[in-house]
Amino acid sequence: MTVPSDIHPLLAVENLSCAVPGPAGAMRILTDVSFTLPHATALGIVGESGAGKSMLVKTIMDIAPSRAAVTGAVRLDGTALQSLDTRTRRTTLGRRVGMVFQNPMTSLNPFVRVGRQVEEASRKHLGLDRRAAREKAIALLRAVGIPDAAECYHGFPHQFSGGMKQRIMIATALACDPELLIADEATTALDATVQKDILDLLQTLQQRRRMSMILVTHNLGVVAGRTDEVIVMYGGRLVEHAPTERLFASPRHRYTAALLSAMPRIDQPAHTRLATIPGQPPSLAHPEPGCPFAPRCPAAIDACRAAMPPMTVSADGRHRFACHVPLDAGISGDASVRQPEAANV
Amino acid sequence: MSTLEAHPVSAGEKPLAAPRRLRWPRLTLAEAFSFLFLLLLIAGAIFADRIPGLVRPNFPYGDFSRPPEWSINGLFGTDGLGRSIFSRILHGARATLTIVGIATLISLGFGLLLGMLAGYYRGIIERFVDLFANTVAALPPILVILALLTATGPSVTTMTLALGFLEIGTYARIAKGGVISQYDRDYILAARALGASDARILLREILPNLMPTLAALVPPLMAGLIITEGSLSFLGYGIAPPAPSWGGMIADSTDLLSRFPLLIFGPILTIVCTVFALNTVGDYLSRRIDRREKQL
Repeated sequence: MTVPSDIHPLLAVENLSCAVPGPAGAMRILTDVSFTLPHATALGIVGESGAGKSMLVKTIMDIAPSRAAVTGAVRLDGTALQSLDTRTRRTTLGRRVGMVFQNPMTSLNPFVRVGRQVEEASRKHLGLDRRAAREKAIALLRAVGIPDAAECYHGFPHQFSGGMKQRIMIATALACDPELLIADEATTALDATVQKDILDLLQTLQQRRRMSMILVTHNLGVVAGRTDEVIVMYGGRLVEHAPTERLFASPRHRYTAALLSAMPRIDQPAHTRLATIPGQPPSLAHPEPGCPFAPRCPAAIDACRAAMPPMTVSADGRHRFACHVPLDAGISGDASVRQPEAANV
Repeated sequence: MSTLEAHPVSAGEKPLAAPRRLRWPRLTLAEAFSFLFLLLLIAGAIFADRIPGLVRPNFPYGDFSRPPEWSINGLFGTDGLGRSIFSRILHGARATLTIVGIATLISLGFGLLLGMLAGYYRGIIERFVDLFANTVAALPPILVILALLTATGPSVTTMTLALGFLEIGTYARIAKGGVISQYDRDYILAARALGASDARILLREILPNLMPTLAALVPPLMAGLIITEGSLSFLGYGIAPPAPSWGGMIADSTDLLSRFPLLIFGPILTIVCTVFALNTVGDYLSRRIDRREKQL
């Protein structure tokens, strides 16, 4: 990388689209997603099931199914990954980006000792010898909070609990000191107390190592207080992108607002019925023209059903949203109620 | 590195209780005897020349067609030419085990290679491998090898290669199925996200997962090869006399069966025990897989 790092954002995603052939024609999993992620920044990607969150990060990591047709560009530190040959691209991504998967029960190889799984990437990409890689692996296991790291180095995955396995996965992802760590629903498969531990660990590691992080989740509580920016996805599109506090305080997109009001809150009386969003997520196989949220949106006007709203950018350029009838900034934003609540996972 | 500091674990998570090795299930009596028998047979085959007091397999050391007696050479009696049947069984084991071992290595090696490529890349490779495996599976092995040996002349090398070739498809199918069942697992995805090459994923992530299955399947398949090899030698197409072979000894003793029925006892017993032991060991190893899958 000859270009100095501070000129380019760490990650730039430009007009990324992705379609997968399905029984009823091509499924448009991602449509025209663009965003940039600066160095040492934590980004949350939220959306409901089928919004394209996981496919977005898988496409960035070049591990989308091979039948998926991807267009657009992903730039890492200014280098367009698509322009590299497959081998270089994989090596670059493996070296500079770490990834943690949703289910720790299946993302570790059951027949390989965990120590070897942790050190694998550092031996390959950093050229460490067996001894150095081993020392590093044990240090990493310790850093992610595994007690008796030296002994656990020799353990097999089935000997560990789910939370421990996820810690091991994080150690694996950190083996090459990546500049970006992607956690794809990394805590969804864990129970609540362990979720909080893992999220705290991820946040601590992100801040200590000054790396960037992408937290993919369907839970707004996960990104609150742990990320600098949040992207909201719906129907394979990026619908809103804002600094976290601003998104919670004054969402502009109708979907984001609906999502926020669907969150259970500690200040509500017990047994309050949770707000829901009526209707179903859009069909990816037969996308209708216009905003994907229009059929479920209480404020939808004819324009919403006719054409996809363009991306509106706020005056300071930090808040983007795609909505024909956005909520007014400040009016709906009752900051005192929508304070980010980090503990609410 | 300042970042590598301990991060506390909350009470919600228990640390690893005690690292324990993967358990092997308890051996039943039959399994223990099977292991012991195979070990003794392999040791006997390797050290057949060095066992003190044991005569050479082709040395006519006593009267012909003597019944079994309590001495090392006469343990299974002597054959029609006065040779020690026990010595001939051990030397025959050397030939049989070598042939079966090499044939298994050939079929295992090529079968794994083809099967893993077919399962990983699918498409045209998979169709080729399927076609090959199905075609070869339809051939009766003994007839094919008989025809081959008739055409090219009796040769142990040809027989070994042919035995190995005919089993390639079996292993290829097993390997292919194993790879396909693992292809979508998250750890394969994780390995790719870490930048692992295809070869690395196949060899270091997928292959270890195939090993227990193969370990359970190899012994019974070897038992099948022993029977095929014995049949060929019985028909006079395998190991050529006077070199000792199990099948050949059975063939020799059938001529004298009406007058000296005990001569056939030794080689038959050996084949039966070997095949039984290999199958039992295979069962034991597959029991281990079941167990391990329950642990995971």
